[in-house]
Amino acid sequence: MQFGDLKAVDQASFEIPAGRICALLGPNGAGKSTLMKMLTGLLAPASGEAAVAGLDVHKMPLEVRRMAGILPESLGLFDMLTVEEHLHLCGPIYGLSFEETRRRADQLIDALALENGRHTQAGQCSNGMRKKTALALALLHNPRVLFLDEPFEGVDPVTAQTIGEILQMTVKHGVTIFLTSHILSIVDRLADWIIVLRGGRIVWQGPASELKGSLEDLYFDLVEPLRVADLPWLGPSQS
Amino acid sequence: MAGSFAILSALARSVWRDLRTFGSVGGNNLMLFMLLVMYQQPQSGVFFLMILAVLMLGPLSGDPFRKIPRDRLALWPLAARERVALRVGSLALSPVVWVAIVFLFWTGGWSLGLVLMGGAVLMQAAGDVWGRWREGRLSAQRGVALPKFPGRWGGLVQKNLRQMLSVLDCYAALVLAVGGAVYRLAGAKADPDAFLILALVVVIALSTYAQALFGLDLPWGIARYRVLPLRGVEILLAKDVAFLLVAVVLVAPLALVPGLAGTLIALAVGHHASVLRPLPQMRWRFTGGTLWPSGSFQVFLLVAIGVATGRGSLWYLGLALAAYVGSLWYYGRMWDRGA
Repeated sequence: MQFGDLKAVDQASFEIPAGRICALLGPNGAGKSTLMKMLTGLLAPASGEAAVAGLDVHKMPLEVRRMAGILPESLGLFDMLTVEEHLHLCGPIYGLSFEETRRRADQLIDALALENGRHTQAGQCSNGMRKKTALALALLHNPRVLFLDEPFEGVDPVTAQTIGEILQMTVKHGVTIFLTSHILSIVDRLADWIIVLRGGRIVWQGPASELKGSLEDLYFDLVEPLRVADLPWLGPSQS
Repeated sequence: MAGSFAILSALARSVWRDLRTFGSVGGNNLMLFMLLVMYQQPQSGVFFLMILAVLMLGPLSGDPFRKIPRDRLALWPLAARERVALRVGSLALSPVVWVAIVFLFWTGGWSLGLVLMGGAVLMQAAGDVWGRWREGRLSAQRGVALPKFPGRWGGLVQKNLRQMLSVLDCYAALVLAVGGAVYRLAGAKADPDAFLILALVVVIALSTYAQALFGLDLPWGIARYRVLPLRGVEILLAKDVAFLLVAVVLVAPLALVPGLAGTLIALAVGHHASVLRPLPQMRWRFTGGTLWPSGSFQVFLLVAIGVATGRGSLWYLGLALAAYVGSLWYYGRMWDRGA
């Protein structure tokens, strides 16, 4: 994928076994979201091909979207709709009856602790609530594959834990999950397949069990070393 | 008092930025129509100008003080007298107060000016009470209550209708339609062509919105549309159904068939800007489109086809329908290609 002279993602080739949680790691600007957009048909690659559950993403975009649950980077919520209205709007689009949509919406609202915001418009929701709403939309139609762009960022620890457990439960039901995250501790706990991107290229990929050392060590070795700048004006003794 | 002045100056900047958003009316087809009318008959133009002004007075009368986030206000280390100064000073930033002052100097009559000034303060106080009363209420969160629509895109149509009802264009069209309907019901012996023209003016008042069908979805709603398993044609059609519903209800008491023909043309032309150059819009403002070429084409073609249909030739309704279907198909494909 190329934007002008910049190659956002270059020569990325990988295959993820079904029923796994694959984490895509990398610093800001590494090309994670671009890769995610290409896999969900939101961006067309300049060359190469992508298939999800055997379906060519660019020849059959609607079929891919029907069987995939997507949490986009921007969350993709309508500011004027409430949490509940979002769920009620999307269910029928995926072929669910209104009764089934309501039933699942109630269960998702309960499971993701969204009850307090059920009737709050997305534009007035907290970031965590917006994220959980977008996640509920991704799960509503029982997808075979989940694409989650930074599902844990900006949510409280309890919510992050809840999301993690829901993801583990869906994987047990045979769903494949492809997620991006900067929170290495959560990725370390959840993911069983790791891909590390740097400058648009894959620099490491494989099962988490093949990691030598910790995920943090791998990340700082491959991606970028820690840097701490000194800010001498900080502190009570300074003016 | 330095803190209060700093806050007031930030508030003034915020009010000024807010005022600039009302400039969207400059790209509205009703404004174009009004200018054309004023060129021919200045007195008739004043009527439309008054409609625009009255409709904008509502959003303009918002209390500037409420622009300060309540939590932020509570956090600032301000003394009681500074808070009072802030409250009083913020009143002077209200555009409604400025209107009152203009009247004061213009008419030279203190009584009228003071009545207007008092009215402005009362309007703000009422708005404040209304806002506090609605806070936390379910109806306030849900917005305009609308019926559920059946089918796969029923929820989308409902959402689109709610969006459409949150721009001032609809209310300008409503004022015109209600005025025409009352005139007709009153049994006045008007030229039948008057209702035809009035129906088309109603469509003109709505038509800019057809150029900005995704304007209230930007930017996050577009991302949602992109991940939904829907074709561009379906997404556009769900937008158009909402638009047609509003238009048909408003033109029905005046001249339904010519109004429908004009509406189809407004949508057929508007798809181009909606899909290829979506402009962000704000709630409770007039839709801001582009007067050239989209707006001018919309107004010219919808009036031409509407009048031709109204003169008895249903062929033109067929032509409008064909143009609409062609536009829906073409721009639906454009959407699918990621336009």
